[in-house]
Amino acid sequence: MSLLRLSLRTLRREWRLPELRTLAGSLVLAVAALGVVATLAARVERGVLASAAELIGGDAGIGAPQPVPDAFATQARGRGLAVSRSAGFPSVAFAHRRSQLLDVAATDAAWPLRGTLELRDAQGRTHAAHGPAAGTVYLDHRALVALQLQVGDSVQLGGRTLRIAAELLREPDGGQLVALAPRALMSLADARQAGLLGVGSRARHRLLVAGAPAAVRDWLAWTRGATLPQGAERITPERTQERMRGAFDRASAFLRLVALLSALLAGVAIALAAQRYARRKAPEVALLRALGTPRRRVLGLLLGTLLALALPAAALGVALALGMAQGAWLFARALFAGVSTALPLLPALAAAGLGLAVLAGFALPPLARLAEVSPVAVFRASLARRVRRFDVLYLVPALVALALIWSQSGSAKLAGILAASLAGVAAVAALLALLLLWLARRVAPGAHPALRLGLAALARRRALSVIQATALGLGLTALLLLAVVAPALLDGWRRELPPDTPNWFALNLQDDQRAGFAQALGRLGADQLNMMPLAVGKLVAIDGRPIDGRRYADPRAKDWADRQLRLSWAEALPPANTVVAGRWFDARPARAEVSVDTMWRDMFALKLGDTLRFDVGEGTLDATVTSFRHVDWSSFRVNFFLLLDPAHAGALPHTWLASFHLPRGRAAQVAALSRDYPNLSLVDVDDLLDRLRQIVDRVGGAVRWVLAFSLLAGALVLAAALAASAAERRHEAALLRTLGARRAQLRVAAACEFALLGLIAGLTAALGAAGAGWWLGRAVFRIGHFVPPLLPLGLYALAAAIVVMLLGLGGTRRVTHTSPMRLLREG
Amino acid sequence: MSGTPQLLLDVRDVSKSVRGPEGRLDILRGVSLQVAEGESFAIVGASGSGKTTLLGLLAGLDTPSSGGIRLDGHALETLDEEARADLRRRLVGFVFQSFHLLPALSAEENVMLPLELEGDAGARRKAREALAAVGLDARRRHYPAQLSGGEQQRVAIARAFVHGPRLLFADEPTGNLDQRTGHHVADLLFALNRDHRTTLVLVTHDARLAGRCTRGVELEEGRLRAPRAAAAVTA
Repeated sequence: MSLLRLSLRTLRREWRLPELRTLAGSLVLAVAALGVVATLAARVERGVLASAAELIGGDAGIGAPQPVPDAFATQARGRGLAVSRSAGFPSVAFAHRRSQLLDVAATDAAWPLRGTLELRDAQGRTHAAHGPAAGTVYLDHRALVALQLQVGDSVQLGGRTLRIAAELLREPDGGQLVALAPRALMSLADARQAGLLGVGSRARHRLLVAGAPAAVRDWLAWTRGATLPQGAERITPERTQERMRGAFDRASAFLRLVALLSALLAGVAIALAAQRYARRKAPEVALLRALGTPRRRVLGLLLGTLLALALPAAALGVALALGMAQGAWLFARALFAGVSTALPLLPALAAAGLGLAVLAGFALPPLARLAEVSPVAVFRASLARRVRRFDVLYLVPALVALALIWSQSGSAKLAGILAASLAGVAAVAALLALLLLWLARRVAPGAHPALRLGLAALARRRALSVIQATALGLGLTALLLLAVVAPALLDGWRRELPPDTPNWFALNLQDDQRAGFAQALGRLGADQLNMMPLAVGKLVAIDGRPIDGRRYADPRAKDWADRQLRLSWAEALPPANTVVAGRWFDARPARAEVSVDTMWRDMFALKLGDTLRFDVGEGTLDATVTSFRHVDWSSFRVNFFLLLDPAHAGALPHTWLASFHLPRGRAAQVAALSRDYPNLSLVDVDDLLDRLRQIVDRVGGAVRWVLAFSLLAGALVLAAALAASAAERRHEAALLRTLGARRAQLRVAAACEFALLGLIAGLTAALGAAGAGWWLGRAVFRIGHFVPPLLPLGLYALAAAIVVMLLGLGGTRRVTHTSPMRLLREG
Repeated sequence: MSGTPQLLLDVRDVSKSVRGPEGRLDILRGVSLQVAEGESFAIVGASGSGKTTLLGLLAGLDTPSSGGIRLDGHALETLDEEARADLRRRLVGFVFQSFHLLPALSAEENVMLPLELEGDAGARRKAREALAAVGLDARRRHYPAQLSGGEQQRVAIARAFVHGPRLLFADEPTGNLDQRTGHHVADLLFALNRDHRTTLVLVTHDARLAGRCTRGVELEEGRLRAPRAAAAVTA
């Protein structure tokens, strides 16, 4: 009979064995957990990538404070690329004695080159369109409401009367998430004629190109050789993506970690089940060998059976992953408005591969050893059970785990850190479980007999108990961290901020507006007003060597080397800043000095005494690094990476940045203020925080069930351990029944055993989550005395005990019905 | 001894059959026997003769297909499993060929088990006394893995006697021991039988061990050959 048919027949016969079902279940879970997270991540990532060009409105471009020279457009057209020009600036619109500060984009008729501009006309019909024709304007809903206008009315913008041709519904540019002011779209020609783009305007000009990817790359390469206008920077999808991806990467890293944990726990369940299966099969293999079956054929049969089981299980895992990813996508897609992508299949298939690798890695050692069972074992059963003290195969699961961690983290260094942390957490959890077990044994002699029996049951399978408690504890820790500790940390952080922490920022305040603005704020009841000068410049050289982004390994340094910097200066060290090296500025230093944030010091490998050269406006400033500062960025104060000494920096062209505290609910008065100061950009931090919280809640809701995987994996380990100990349990039950134990007594003992196990896992998780919370509170959130929410954690530990008890009772229900005759038959 | 000894086990025409793949299989057929209080009673027979099945029925671990068994006047076939468990706890002790001690419990804790199942408050003290009686007082904190085969069986005997059962079932109690140790264990069993007047029902292959019993029966293919006196069993 062919090996395949024999394997299939074996599987049909053995399918009912609990260990094979545990193997299949673990594989389904590992594939589903890895697959759903990978699919979601790929989909969002693909969405982010696809939307990057859409966000820009073109494939690439140049942004500059003045119109981009024609040479850039000519070069693009010469490469067959489409070209569009636009400019963005704030301007105040007037209508019927009302006025409103608007965020205006002036575009040509070609804009957007990528993405969709969606409008609604007077009849309520929506349609896609391009930039507005001369004499017309598109306003978004907020602008229409603020100015009490409708489509078809007229509005004054930059001294010209424009007809509102349509309501602006959606545009490339991604302003949807944090649009600060109502939005208007006008024609570039109108803006030019109205003098909105002339000398002294604060417009940001853009030249966008789109076309064949090779031509776009070629044009970008050409721009690198050309001289960019002062203050100009290249716009590429990669850079846009980079900024968008920061938050996404952190969220997906956490999810990947949870999926990884689930897969590794599933691996533990697989190892337990495979060991049990091997023990059960040993006499059969010994017999096959004694009857003359070659070792290779035995191994082939075992692997064939395993494969026949694994392939459908992996397929089921893939189907589950895709289904759940689709469900989660439908739930959370509102967050990625406008991103429409097909369901990617590859990540789930790759997860199936990873799942099979986990199965192979964790099941291989016991099964491979099984093939080595000696034929002599038919005479001496003990030979079949003989375990070698050390086997190189034991390294396989560890290697598979490492490879898995590496595949999920993407870098060897991160994988190393992750593996070490996971091993550390698991070791601590295991030690805690051992300690609790030991403590329980110490109090046992005086305990109730049922409790003693339960404890004895835990103690006589100590290794299994510790594995179960650790697996359950780790799964539960992940859940507790997200469900209990994270909200408590956020609340603690909010409470820690003084109630009068600045919650508004005003940008672009001019010198001559300072006094009047401060008075106006005073009338509104604002306090904690703080104004800092703000100059925009560029770091061009360190110690005389021109800055070249390509020289730096740190990607942040690469990015900063290309970017405009915000520079400020102050007489005294600002609050939330600490000098960690060097000294704060003297009253009148002989040469210009600069104080640098520690992150910048590390990025550019700066030392005290280095000279930094900045281009600011038309001039240049050389400043010596005289101090390094540690900045508390969570303080909600205005902070700067680079602070110059006021004696030398005061003459640089600058505006002012104001921060102040205004009680909530005064937004209407602030709107009035913005009409008096149309050049100001006002940012409501409370509003931003509320939006952020909404996003966090939404994302949290979508991912919380991913955590269920780690708990399920913990439960699978429990099931595998129950299956592994089933024979032993039946034997004990038979003995106790023979000695006259009632079923109820056996059930109470089992309840005690599993409640204890659950309590140990729950306590381990509660202690772990509390410890992690305490550390996060100190190191990340910098909350002085963060006390983790012990009561909810304790309640969760109790709930875990109850759930594990019920699971355990369910899993051992048949054991209490064991016939006592079993014992006599066993001898 | 004075007066007529009380009948502790009364077995009347007991049969046991099970359904197998090839139809009904009769394991015991029409077995009748009586065991009086204080007796030592041997059941001998070849492998597959039905010894273990009979022992299970006598101890109330299983129920007969037909016939009746009275244990201390209780008709076992009329009791459910829980009621039979209660009866075992109060009246019966067991010694097995493979000892069947729980490996994670110390010798003392293993001996405490039957008392704990009854909720006996003095379990620890009584367990120590029982271990002292089998000469293992000094090893009461040891775990089964730390004890020799003979010591494990002595712990099992202490466990069987600790709650003062009136009837002790021993299934090949010396089967896993060498001759010398087996002899000591058997001495212990008969001493306890004599000193405590505990009725001993012993299943064994060992003719010499069966010969030390006051009475016995031999099973052959599920039937009693004939109730015989001890001397006849040994022959």
